Amino acid sequence: MKAVLRYGIGGLLVAVPLLLAVAGPLFVPDALTRGAAFGDTGPLGTDFIGRDVWHQVLLGGRTVVLVAMLATVLSYLVGVPIALLAAMTRRRWVDEVLMRPLDVLLAVPSLLVLILLASIAPRGVLTLVLIVALVNVPDVARIARAAALEIASRPALEAMRLQGETWWRTAVGYVGRSMLRTLVADLGIRLTAALYLVASASFLGVGVPPDASDWAVMVDRNQTGLFLAPEAVMAPALLIIALSVGVNLVFDRALRDRGRAWL
Amino acid sequence: MTLGHYALRRLLLGVVQVAAVATLVYLLVAALPGDAAVALAGDNPDPERIEQIRVAMGLDRPVWERFAEWLWGLTHGDFGVSIVSGRPVADFLADGLEPTLLLAGLTMLMLVPVSVLLGVASARREGGWLDRVVTTTAVGLHAIPEFTLAIVLIALFGVQLAWLPPTAVGTDGDLLAEPAVLVLPLIVLLARPICSISRLVRAAMIDAAASDYARHARRLGLSARRVRYAHALPNAVAPAVQQMARTTDWLLGGVVVVEAVFVIPGLGTILVDAVAGRDLPVIQGLAVLFAVTTVLVNLVADVVAFRLAPRAVT
Amino acid sequence: MSNHPFPTLDRRGFLGLTAGLSVAALAGCGTGAPAPAAGAPRAGGRLRAAFAGGGAKEVLDPHLANLFLEAARSKALYDKLADFGDDVAPRPRLAEKWEPSADLTRWRITLRAAEFHDGRPVRAQDVLASYARILDPKRAFRAKASLGLIDLPNSRAIDDRTIEFALKRPYVEFPNVLASFSAYIIPESTEDFTNPVGSGPFAFVSFQPGKSTVLKRNPRYWEGAAHLDELEFVIANEESARVNALLGGQVDYAHDLAPVTARGHQGSDKLMLVRSPNSGIQAFAMKVDRPPFDNRDLREAMFLLADRQQLVDTTLSGAGQVANDLFGKGYQHYADDIPQRVRDLDRAKWLVKKAGAEGLKVKLDTSEAASGFVEAASVFADQAREAGIEIEVAVGNKDTFWADTLKNGSLSSFRSGAMPIESHFSQRLLSKSTTNVTKWARPEFDALYDKAVSTADDAARGAVYRDMQRTLHAEGGYLIWGFADWIIGTSPKVGGVATAPANTLDWARFDKVWLA
Repeated sequence: MKAVLRYGIGGLLVAVPLLLAVAGPLFVPDALTRGAAFGDTGPLGTDFIGRDVWHQVLLGGRTVVLVAMLATVLSYLVGVPIALLAAMTRRRWVDEVLMRPLDVLLAVPSLLVLILLASIAPRGVLTLVLIVALVNVPDVARIARAAALEIASRPALEAMRLQGETWWRTAVGYVGRSMLRTLVADLGIRLTAALYLVASASFLGVGVPPDASDWAVMVDRNQTGLFLAPEAVMAPALLIIALSVGVNLVFDRALRDRGRAWL
Repeated sequence: MTLGHYALRRLLLGVVQVAAVATLVYLLVAALPGDAAVALAGDNPDPERIEQIRVAMGLDRPVWERFAEWLWGLTHGDFGVSIVSGRPVADFLADGLEPTLLLAGLTMLMLVPVSVLLGVASARREGGWLDRVVTTTAVGLHAIPEFTLAIVLIALFGVQLAWLPPTAVGTDGDLLAEPAVLVLPLIVLLARPICSISRLVRAAMIDAAASDYARHARRLGLSARRVRYAHALPNAVAPAVQQMARTTDWLLGGVVVVEAVFVIPGLGTILVDAVAGRDLPVIQGLAVLFAVTTVLVNLVADVVAFRLAPRAVT
Repeated sequence: MSNHPFPTLDRRGFLGLTAGLSVAALAGCGTGAPAPAAGAPRAGGRLRAAFAGGGAKEVLDPHLANLFLEAARSKALYDKLADFGDDVAPRPRLAEKWEPSADLTRWRITLRAAEFHDGRPVRAQDVLASYARILDPKRAFRAKASLGLIDLPNSRAIDDRTIEFALKRPYVEFPNVLASFSAYIIPESTEDFTNPVGSGPFAFVSFQPGKSTVLKRNPRYWEGAAHLDELEFVIANEESARVNALLGGQVDYAHDLAPVTARGHQGSDKLMLVRSPNSGIQAFAMKVDRPPFDNRDLREAMFLLADRQQLVDTTLSGAGQVANDLFGKGYQHYADDIPQRVRDLDRAKWLVKKAGAEGLKVKLDTSEAASGFVEAASVFADQAREAGIEIEVAVGNKDTFWADTLKNGSLSSFRSGAMPIESHFSQRLLSKSTTNVTKWARPEFDALYDKAVSTADDAARGAVYRDMQRTLHAEGGYLIWGFADWIIGTSPKVGGVATAPANTLDWARFDKVWLA
C-alpha cells in the first residue's frame, strides 16, 4: 500500500499534465472568446491578449509534451550510440572522428545556435524539436561517453573481452545497461531542460509565435500580468513543474525497483 | 600517454575546433535574412539609404573576402571593428567579459560544493526522505524557467520586502562596487545547475557504491565511510565534472535572460544585440571567445576527470 | 503591447518611424501638463532615467541617432533649429524666427543668441556645416532624405546669426525640415564625438556605451538652466527591469512602460504614470497595387470588419483610443470632421461578396519588430474570419521586417511614431515616396500634395490636407485602428514630466524636470 502510494505521487504528478496535454484540446470550444487582457472572464481569467487562460491550459500541453519528449528521445537516439561507439572502440581515430565534430557544436553556445537556427529555419514544432535535439546531442554524447569509459575500464569488462564476448554483447549488454542509471538521472533533467529551452526561445522571440498556445510560452508571455492575474502564469508553470518532478520521481522509483532486482 | 602530452594534443585540436566554430558561425550568420544595413535602417527602410549604408559599411564586398580579411586579422590577434559602431570588437568583448566572468566564477564557487554535497547526501539512502526532498526541490527549481524565478524573487525580495536591490542598474558593470546586486542573480543561476549536477553525483554515487571495486574494498575491511569518500566519490564525480564543464560553458556563453532581467551588461546581451544588428565582426569575435573558453573548460574538465578516475579518460 | 522584454530583440523600438521630420516647441512653453505630486520646481539633484538601449553599438553622434535613448540623449546635449510641439507642428528653437520669400523657395532663418558648451557662439556657419555633414553624398544619415530639398550650394550665411536657405522647389512646410529627427546643430567640422559639445541644456560628463551616460547642467542654456544638477541615462532593455528599478528606487524615470504594467500600478503611491495620448499609430497596411487589395471594395470591407475597440482592449490593454484609418489624431491639420468608422459586419460581408472574395485566403505578415504586432494580427485574423476572410498570420524575422514588408506581401502589420501629417504623406503616400508600404501612387494625390506645400495660407492648405485625408479614409491602404498611449513611469518625487507624444519636443525632455 505504501509502495503504491509512493509511486502514486510521482505517477499522479505525471498523469495530470499528460492527460491535460493529450485530452485537453478535445474540451476546447471551436469559437474562442476574447475579452480584455488579464481580466476575470473564465475560471482562470484571461491572458495577455484576452484569451481564456483555462482554454489555453487545455490547448497548451500538446506542444510542450511533444517537443520535450521528441527532442529528448531524439537526442538520446543519436547521442548514446555515438558515445558507445566512441567509448568502446579500440581505434583512437574512430573516437576522434565521432567526438570532435560534436565538440565543435558544443563550442557554440546553445543560445547562439537557438537564435541563429530559429531565424533561418521555418517556424514550427518540427524545427524546434530538431534545434532542441541538436543542442542536446553533444551533451548527451559526452556524458554517456564518460560513463561508458568508466564502466569499460572495469575488470568485469576486461574479463568479458578475454572470454571473447562479441562487441555487441559487451557494449550494449553490459556497458549500456550499466550506464542506465547515469543516463536516466540525466534524462529526467534533460526533459525539463528541453521544456525550458522552448520557454527561452519564446523569451528571445525566436522559434515560437508569441501567441502560441503552449505552457512554456504562456509562462513567458503572461508574466507581465503576474500581479494582475497570477493564475495565468502559475497554472502553466505548476503543470510544467509537476511534469518534471513527476517524471524524475517515477524514473527514480523504477530504477530503484530494478536495482533491487539486479542485486 | 602522459597528461602533458594529452593536454598538448588537446590544445592543438582546440585550435582546429575554434577555426571550425568561427567558420560555422560565419556561415550561419551570413545565412540570416537581411544584413547590418537593413537592420540599422529599421523602420525606415528607404532602399536608397540602405544601399548607402551598405557601401559605408563595406558590405558591398563579397562575403568570402570579408571573412578572409577577418581571419587574417585574427591570426594577428586583431578581432576587427564593429561594422555598426566602428568600435574595436576587442573593446566589446572586454566590456562584457568582466561581469560575465564574475557571475560565472561566483556561481561555480558555490555550485560545486553545494551540489556535490547534496548528491552525496541523497545517495546515502536512496529513496529516503532526504533523497526525496532534495530530488523534488531540485527538480522543481529546475523546472521553473529562470525568468519566472527571477521575476518572482525580484518582486518579493527586491520590491515588496526591499531587502535587496531589484536590478544592477547603475552599477555600470562594476558589480563588486555593490555586491548586494549579485545575490538574486546568483540564486537564479544556481537553481538549475544544482539540480542537474547533484542528480548526476547522486546516481554515480549509488552506482559506485554498488560496483565491484567498492564491494571488494569493503571485503578488504575498509570502513564504509572510507570507501564512500576516498574511493566511490572521486569516481562518481568524474561524470559530473563533464556537466560542470557544460555549466561553466553555459555561464560564460552568456546568460542572456539573467542579464536582461537584472540589467547586467554581460556577453549574452552583447551577443543578442549583435545578432539583431547583424554585426558580423562582433558575432564572430564572440563565437571565437566562446569557442576558446569551451575548449579550455573542457580540457580542464578532462584533466580533472583523468585525475579523479585515471582509467576513465584515454 | 506586450512588453516583454526582450530587449534586444524587439522591444527596443526604433524610433518611430520616421525619418525625418520633425520638430519643435516654443521655448519655455513646456506644453504638456506636468505630472502632479512633486510640488513646485526645485533646483538640484541627479535624475536617473532608464531607457532601452542599443547595446555596445550606441553612439554619441547625434546625426546617427536612431533609438529613443539616442534621441533623448541628443536632445539633452544638442538643439535643432526647430522642434515639434504637442500638435506636431514646428516651433522655433535655435531659430528665433523664419521668413519665406513670396515664392517659398528661399527661407531666411534668424538664430537666437546661444552658445555651445565650450563657450563658442552658435553661428550660421555651424548650421550650414551641420546640414552639409548630414547631406554628404558619401554618408547615410537618417535626416538626409528630409533635408534633401535644401539647395546647399546656393544657401548662405548672411551674417553670424542669419542664414538664407535656398530650396530646390517651393515648400511651405520647410520648418518641418528644420525639426527633422536628428537634424541637430553641431559645431562646425566636428567629427569626433568622444567628448561631444552641443548647445543643449546639459553638457557631457561621461559615456559608457550600452551602460550609462552622465550629463551635467549647462548653466548658460539659452532657454534658462535646467533644474537638475545632473542627468544620468542608464540602460535597461527589459521593460520589467525598468519597472523594477523604478520600484526599487534605483532610477527615477522609466521610459516606455507596457499598458499592463500601467494597469497594475494605477493609483500606486510608489510610481507615477505619465501617459501621452496619440503617440503610437497602430495599423495594418494593405498594398493597393496588387491583388487582392487592389480591389477598393475589399479594402472597404477590411475597414468595416475591424473591431477597433476589441483591438485596443486586447492588444493595447485599453491604453489607447480607436482610430479612424487616418494618421495623426490631434495633430495639426488632422481631419477630425470625418465620422468615426464603426464595425459593420453585414456590410463588410456584402462588400466581400461584391468583390468576389468570399473564402479569400490572405497572408498577414507580422513579426516581433514592435511589441503587440503578433497579438494584434491574431486578434484581427479572428475578426476577419467572421466576415468570411481567412487570414493566415505569418510571423517573419523581426530584424528585417520593415525592409521585407516594404517590398513583399500584400497585408502587413504597421506602426508609426509621431510626425507631421505632411511628412506622413511625403514619406509614404506619394508616387516617389521611398517608404511607401501601401504602394499608394496616384498622380492626382501627388498633385494635391504639391498644391498644399506651395500654399502659403494656413487655412487653404489645411483644406487641401483634409481633402487628401478624405480620399485615404475612403479607399486608402492603411487600416489604422488605434493610437497607443506612450507610458512613462516616474518616482513620486519627480515633477515636470510632460505628456507629449514620443518624438516631439517635450517628450523625454529633462531640462524642465525637477526632483522634489
